[in-house]
Amino acid sequence: MTMTKSSSSPQPLSDARLLMNRRYFFGKTATGIGSLALGSLLSRDLPGAEADFLGDLGTIAPKAKRVIYLFQSGAPSQLDLFDYKPKLADHYDEDLPDSIRQGQRLTGMTSGQARFPVAPSTFQFQQHGNSGAWISELMPNVAGIADKLCFVKSMHTEAINHDPAITFFQTGSQIAGRPSVGSWLSYGLGKENEDLPAFVAMTSTGTGRPGGQPLYDRLWGSGFLPTTHQGVKLRGVGDPVLYLNDPAGIDRKLRRRMLDDIAAVNQQKLADFGDPEIATRIAQYELAYRMQTSVPELTDLTTEPEATFDAYGPESKKRGTYANNCILARRLAESGVRFVQLFHMGWDQHKSLPKQIEGQAYDTDQATAALIQDLEDRGMLDETLIIWGGEFGRTVYSQGTLTETNYGRDHHPRCFTLFLAGGGIRPGMTFGATDDFSYNITENPVHVHDLHATLLHLLGIDHEKLTYRFQGRYFRLTDVHGHVVKDILA
Amino acid sequence: MMNFDAAGREACSVNLSITNTPLQAMNLLNDPQFVEAARALGERMMEEADPTPEARITHGTRLLLGRAPSDVELNVFLSGYRDYLQAFTDNPAAAEDFVSVGQSRPNPDLPVPELAACAAVASVLLNLDETVTKE
Repeated sequence: MTMTKSSSSPQPLSDARLLMNRRYFFGKTATGIGSLALGSLLSRDLPGAEADFLGDLGTIAPKAKRVIYLFQSGAPSQLDLFDYKPKLADHYDEDLPDSIRQGQRLTGMTSGQARFPVAPSTFQFQQHGNSGAWISELMPNVAGIADKLCFVKSMHTEAINHDPAITFFQTGSQIAGRPSVGSWLSYGLGKENEDLPAFVAMTSTGTGRPGGQPLYDRLWGSGFLPTTHQGVKLRGVGDPVLYLNDPAGIDRKLRRRMLDDIAAVNQQKLADFGDPEIATRIAQYELAYRMQTSVPELTDLTTEPEATFDAYGPESKKRGTYANNCILARRLAESGVRFVQLFHMGWDQHKSLPKQIEGQAYDTDQATAALIQDLEDRGMLDETLIIWGGEFGRTVYSQGTLTETNYGRDHHPRCFTLFLAGGGIRPGMTFGATDDFSYNITENPVHVHDLHATLLHLLGIDHEKLTYRFQGRYFRLTDVHGHVVKDILA
Repeated sequence: MMNFDAAGREACSVNLSITNTPLQAMNLLNDPQFVEAARALGERMMEEADPTPEARITHGTRLLLGRAPSDVELNVFLSGYRDYLQAFTDNPAAAEDFVSVGQSRPNPDLPVPELAACAAVASVLLNLDETVTKE
């Protein structure tokens, strides 16, 4: 079972380099002109055949060991949660000034509207903590830990619709097919725990807007990286992992014997063909065997004291809720999973925003704050990077009819708020600012690529050095962009 | 198919994504559908081939891979078969349980420990990279 080391070694990158490259492949196969031709035919189908790592990852001291990314899918309204704009009250139902809109692109959902009436938030804002962060009444628990958080109010993205935007956040490209950020980390840093995947994803449905945007498995896929780095999704309904138990009549000893036979034959195939995906298959079968023991322990929340459920809120006992996933995320982090990503759906408030967003805030507020507090209590917050945010922001103007108590907001990529905490992030600060309409950024813009560069930096990786050669090019998570946002580092 | 990241059909997929997770390993090893399929393959190995372990294993390999096993592979499968047979002979209840997975009933004319051992070999065959992967 030497090949299982390729996924479990503390140096996965150098292993990947050693495992397979073009020279090795031709060296193995070029015993005659016929086999050389065969080799060139086959090599095109070998996704890892051109795997080659540029060099070391730089000499950055890591501040965080792992990430818990609380993705708010659908795009939460910055205007109703964090980006306080008191002057909007004076502009209620006035048309958005052209000087603000500047002819910028809108979605097809509102570009045909006759008017773009300014919709001030109906929610009350207050300053919280010593840092004086502005947070709306929708997030009382998050407000309670304001001094642990770093709000970035100047996030911006290039995509204006959900799927390209979430794909951009996940992979650094709007077009599907690149590796997701969690798989880049798995590739760059390897595993802390041999019995669990390095990257785990979980999804939950919003009560504010059930039936939100769909999420696709490729969002936690590994793109052109070896599939051993793919995120493993735990199910929120029924068994977290399907078919975890051996079939009737097969005990652990017999299962082990069968796996050894599978591995022996696959190993032979790997030696013959050198396809790294066979090495992955062997490693994944071994991981499956270990997960049969580790997953039931991990997902058994009956061992949690009642105080945990009190802290994470009334929904936290229900399987598949965001709050329940937050408890699982903490347990996964404790177990050494490198990248845990929650996706909470339903933040797409095109209409009936005041009503819908209350449900969304109810789903996420208490559990998010509890998770951060819990990690701090366990001494893990300083080594765990927390990110909370969606794929873009929402418009200051109302989509559809504006009334005193009701409005909707369309997609807005030009500015939105995201918050971070823990591992190497400066707590109790607000970074960046937007204009009086929360429409354009007025200082310190932070692009999605910048967030990725900063995330990698906190984990000790120079984002320009973490590359993977595919189709003749060295690819990066940050493509050819990205700057570490030094001002938000502790 | 969700465990195998099949296209969701909401939109056109020009290419299937390459996917390979431990969830898929558990699916192919433990899902009753695949356990039942392995037993059915084990039955064919016993019914259609000469009554030697070598012939049965070779037949099963041909059915799945379209080729005979190499000497190395045959030795792996044979040694596995002997161990499985020993285990199921020692524990007939386990053999009965294993061949009873699924809705279809096993051929009552076949001796249960042997069928269980053939089914275990068939399960190994069904889980080989060469069986699962389209190259």
